[in-house]
Amino acid sequence: MRSVSSRTLRNVVVVLFLAGVILLALSGFLRSFLGIVMDPFVATQRWLSQRAMAVYDFFTLPRDVTELLQRNAQLEDEVSGLQSQVIQLQEQLREAEVLYSLLDFARARPQDEYIAAAVIGRDPSPFLHYIILDHGSDDGIRHGMPVVTQQGLVGRVDAVTASAARVQLITDPGSVVNVRLQNRSEDAQITGSLNGEIHLEMVAQNINLEPGEILLTSGLGGNFPADVLVGQVQEIETTETELFQTALIQPAVDFDALRAVLVIANFQTININPLVPTPLP
Amino acid sequence: MFVQFISIPIMLLLSVLQMTAISRVTLINGSADIILIAIAAWGIREKSSGAYLWALIGGLLVSFASAVPFPAPLLPYLVTALLARSIQSRLWQSPILSMIGVVTVSTIFQHLFSILVLQFGGLEIGFIESLSSVTMPSLLLNFLFLFPVFFLINDLARWVLREEVYD
Repeated sequence: MRSVSSRTLRNVVVVLFLAGVILLALSGFLRSFLGIVMDPFVATQRWLSQRAMAVYDFFTLPRDVTELLQRNAQLEDEVSGLQSQVIQLQEQLREAEVLYSLLDFARARPQDEYIAAAVIGRDPSPFLHYIILDHGSDDGIRHGMPVVTQQGLVGRVDAVTASAARVQLITDPGSVVNVRLQNRSEDAQITGSLNGEIHLEMVAQNINLEPGEILLTSGLGGNFPADVLVGQVQEIETTETELFQTALIQPAVDFDALRAVLVIANFQTININPLVPTPLP
Repeated sequence: MFVQFISIPIMLLLSVLQMTAISRVTLINGSADIILIAIAAWGIREKSSGAYLWALIGGLLVSFASAVPFPAPLLPYLVTALLARSIQSRLWQSPILSMIGVVTVSTIFQHLFSILVLQFGGLEIGFIESLSSVTMPSLLLNFLFLFPVFFLINDLARWVLREEVYD
């Protein structure tokens, strides 16, 4: 039997010592001792780590800012794109509301045939009150056809091309419309003016005209269908020396905000000019 | 000669702009006339020519769209071109002043002529009422549009008439 050498014995002792130390450390008996030994190393590592992260941030942060700026710009683009979409949708919604109300009006008067048209322009001359529609003779619009909205009377078609039509508004200085007072059997007429105001004329002095009275088309003259709302009396301008009294009319239609109109397609205008007596030479 | 054809798209564009947008911008009852301002600006532009062609095209386009009887839109534009061309040779060193003068005289002439034509056509339009509620506000609005239109037309002329300007 070979005797155990001193070298091997020393190794065994070292291993047993280390195992004992590890067991002591794991069981917590060496915590205070390890703390004294390890704390300087941990503090040094923390200090080095902080400096290393600072250096890392110094080199990497500008790139992140650039990326953030790019991302921010992309998001801003998306936001402005969405905002323009919202505006477009609001615009479409407004148009749809106008068209729905026109549709309601058309359904309420089934005896009439309507052509819906959008207002695309106004007469360049500030002296006249005309609008331009985006539908013309190709769509069935003819000269003289009355034009209305769900609010009331707008005017009549004055000129037509294949794809557009010009409408004389009832506010035009050259416009004359025969009307009647809703609750009376009296006929009168309204005329437009340079400043866009509408005046009621040819009302006899013995009629007690009152503000708020409703005016409807009378159908006389054959230019407009009867019973279309025109407006209401706003201010009476009575002069006792005059043969007739006049009044300022508040139109039912907001002519500044006209966007879409209905052209009454089945109304036959009557030309009464041959019946009007002309003075003999 | 070829460069004069640019007046056709420009006048078409201005006519559409006038009917769709500018006519809606009103002051009392007046509205600006950017076609008249453009004709004046082109006519007053040094070394440029063809203002009469601009006036002719603009006048025909407006006559086609407007309910004003035919000669009323065309003649004032031709007078504007004539005024601009004649004043350009005398006051060429101060184009802005010339523009203001031409636009003022042209606007007043245009409105007086329109009133006359419309009255001749049977409309009851008073001179005083027209001048106070239409002509003066229109003149103010024309002054408002005068500077942007002038600078735009100036740039356009510089671009189109490059050879003439830098001779």
